[in-house]
Amino acid sequence: MSRYFIALLCLFFLIMQGMAMSMLPANLVYSDLLMTPHWILIFLLIIAIFYDKDDTYNAVWYGLAFGLLIDVVYTGVLGVYMITYTLIIYTVHGLNKWLHANFFAASLLAVVGVALADTMLYIIYSFVQITSMTWGDYALLRLLPTLAANMIFFILLYPLVKEKVYAWGEEVSNI
Amino acid sequence: MPSLFRRKRLMIVLVGFIVLVALIGFSIRDRDSLSTPEKFLQDSIGWMQTVFHKPVSLVDNTIENIQDMFGVYEQNEVLKARLSEYKGVIQENQRLRSEIDELQQTLDKSDSLSDYSPVQATVIARSSDRWFEQMTINKGEEHGVEKDMAVMTSDGLIGKIKSVGAFHSTVQLLSGFDRSNKISAWVVRENQDEAFGLIEGYDDETGRLLLEEIKLDEELKPGDTVISSGLGGVFPSNLRIGTVEEVVNDQFGLTQTAYVEPFADLFDINHVMVVDRTAETVDPEPEQEEEAS
Repeated sequence: MSRYFIALLCLFFLIMQGMAMSMLPANLVYSDLLMTPHWILIFLLIIAIFYDKDDTYNAVWYGLAFGLLIDVVYTGVLGVYMITYTLIIYTVHGLNKWLHANFFAASLLAVVGVALADTMLYIIYSFVQITSMTWGDYALLRLLPTLAANMIFFILLYPLVKEKVYAWGEEVSNI
Repeated sequence: MPSLFRRKRLMIVLVGFIVLVALIGFSIRDRDSLSTPEKFLQDSIGWMQTVFHKPVSLVDNTIENIQDMFGVYEQNEVLKARLSEYKGVIQENQRLRSEIDELQQTLDKSDSLSDYSPVQATVIARSSDRWFEQMTINKGEEHGVEKDMAVMTSDGLIGKIKSVGAFHSTVQLLSGFDRSNKISAWVVRENQDEAFGLIEGYDDETGRLLLEEIKLDEELKPGDTVISSGLGGVFPSNLRIGTVEEVVNDQFGLTQTAYVEPFADLFDINHVMVVDRTAETVDPEPEQEEEAS
């Protein structure tokens, strides 16, 4: 049951990502700073940390599916978000074994996850010449604002879903 | 056992890499149409976006309306002053229109490049990745939208259709244009013939379009209007694009490049018009449609 809820929430964030870009005030979203919402990634990282056990990989599969959806709906270049999200969630899932699951560890993992994912997107997109930003410009204009914006989202989302996700995780492993 | 496990992981990484390269190669080439699963996904997500879009845009519009109310009085004064000017312009326009019709009849030439029929559409989402300057609108193949059609707001041209689904389509904005999407354009000048040029890209830093390949002996002034010429074969002519801001010689000194400030706001877009170039005149009064949007 909880699996469907997670998928529905991911779908909701997918739709909201595009909506936010057209509804939020233009001078905030379309300044020189290229803020990019990675809401699905943030949510799936929370799933990877609190829902998945050491030997279950639900979040990774969600990352594969919803990464592909982002590719189809928002960029048109298939596979890039799909592979990036899958790999990053797998990495964070692995790192999670070495840390206690609390707020600070989770926010640390979220920062690392979003930073790695966005950098990987930059590397792939500059290989296929979709962006021609230099590393310096990228770090200043896109990476830092993206990290800041997504951390605000993480801090808002964490208290709302953490307990629920943890309870779902326990429920599934008890069956 | 550990070596087997490591080999399995290595295989997954390799297969993933191959899949990535194959998918990018498949999707980045210049495709005529999307594959069926992509269309299906785009339409289903599009409908969900529409469902969420309705209430959110209602709230958004109400706030905007309340803000507008404070400026109504001043706006009214300005508009009243403008109205008297327009009466003269309308008469002149009607006279010229009938003259053109007469002349076209004598020439036996009924279709012109400037005729088009518009499809009204609403923007339901924008790409969440700012490197992709594209947005989704709620009209698709079923409504007569096709790839490469021009998209405009009441202010001017904003982009072209990048891909179509059955009921939704994706618009590539002018700010995402590169050398593979050129627009052939005229620069309209006072008391002179139009100068020809090609819109070949977008300058991210200044937010202006690059109008290239202008002949060296053409003299352009800042403030001249740029319109589409219709000679590219896709867009109709006379679509408003922008005004010339600055003219420089290109790097080899053989042609000139003009920086063009687009008329339309490329960020705050709600309602658009997809422009279908026609041979016959389907809609006799496209101008009124334009004002209504």
